[in-house]
Amino acid sequence: MIPTADYLLVGAILFVLGAIGFLTRRNLILMFLSAELMLQGVALNFVAFSRHHGNLSGQAFTLFIITVAACEAALALALILMLYHRRATLDVSLWQDLREQGQESTLDVDMPEAGLHPAEPALPRLPQAGVEPPHDKEDSYV
Amino acid sequence: MPNVVDSSNFAMSWRALLPLVLGVIALYLLLPKPRKRPVVIGAALGVMAVVLGGALLFRYGPAPVPERILFWCFAVFAILGAGTMLTQRNPARAAISFTLVVMNVCGLFLLQGAPFLMAATIIIYAGAIIVTFLFVLMLAQQRGFSDADDRTREPFIASFAGFVLLGTIFMVIEHTYPRMHEFKHLAAKVDAAAAQTSLAGIDEAIGDRASFMAKWDDEVATHRTSPLGANLNAAVTNLQSDLTAPRRELDAIRLDLQELAKVCHEIQTDEEPKPLPAANVAGLGYLLYSKHLLAVEIAGTLLLVATIGAIAIAHRRPEPRP
Repeated sequence: MIPTADYLLVGAILFVLGAIGFLTRRNLILMFLSAELMLQGVALNFVAFSRHHGNLSGQAFTLFIITVAACEAALALALILMLYHRRATLDVSLWQDLREQGQESTLDVDMPEAGLHPAEPALPRLPQAGVEPPHDKEDSYV
Repeated sequence: MPNVVDSSNFAMSWRALLPLVLGVIALYLLLPKPRKRPVVIGAALGVMAVVLGGALLFRYGPAPVPERILFWCFAVFAILGAGTMLTQRNPARAAISFTLVVMNVCGLFLLQGAPFLMAATIIIYAGAIIVTFLFVLMLAQQRGFSDADDRTREPFIASFAGFVLLGTIFMVIEHTYPRMHEFKHLAAKVDAAAAQTSLAGIDEAIGDRASFMAKWDDEVATHRTSPLGANLNAAVTNLQSDLTAPRRELDAIRLDLQELAKVCHEIQTDEEPKPLPAANVAGLGYLLYSKHLLAVEIAGTLLLVATIGAIAIAHRRPEPRP
């Protein structure tokens, strides 16, 4: 059997990567994905401890984690939609006027260079095939 | 107070720094920046960090080969998926990478005997949550990239702090679950010595007495936090005093050795994972609806409140204007 410590280590790595993502990324949806990643790491730890101690309590805890994650996703997405309707962007930095009093605001000094995202090729248009048939009024059942 | 960090653990921890440092550099290079830069160096460093970490940090234990291969695949793909999720500019691709992480974590669940959780996680996370995320993403980002995805906040400090946390967790795991190679070697020696019937035979089985006892002192220091650490300490101290007594008595020493062998056996079985109930779903259901019944009720209430809250938040009504 793979030792418990190995599973704990994988859980720790997932948790830390999630924490880094939550701290660095500025897209609201990515921040919530990172929070879910941290939850995955914790769930892995719970299941590993469940197997280590030979009882199912850890797995029951993980079920509750999944419940809380579902609630969190529902509320977070509703909130994100509301914020998006106000500012028309998902950038969390635009909400920094909610910060604590006396804190300096962060300003973006280096703007993304032009041509970072090449324009996507336009969708192909279907060629017109044949003549448009005459519309028959009797075919309407309305 | 015995020496807490013995030399082997110390060397281990210094070697363990290498994948962590590589991970910090790779993550810093790969996190989105306003400037375009090649991803090859960062990706190569990241893969090196994963491989080195797999070679140095993990221990695999006496597992059959298929289980090792499955564990290795699931763990590597989960970690790589998490890495690509962090470093993607495109949020939709990040969500897909997160699905990859969820699938591989589910594989790890299955390896640990949790089939119900595997199914539930795939259905709820990959099936429901990710799809809702993608749905909101499509709703919110119809005009392509926003420049929030092109830059990150303090990438170096955040990754450095994160990996310091990871190193700390790694040290804690190392101290809580010590590596058992040396311990098994010593326990085999004790078993051989306990089977001898003469003082000369015991001396021969033990070998150099001073180094033997020094190694046992190291093991006592390593195991001092485990539940059987006190028993091990007592057994080793008894053996030490009887072995170094001016008039050595065969019966006393044999008794000590048998006691130590018993403690060693207990510690080894304590480190092994215990078997889980075979009926996973039945056992889980019984546990949930007997021991955790109140928690189940609270979770149900939470779901209801969250549903009402989400509807109340997302529902848009015209605001009355004075």
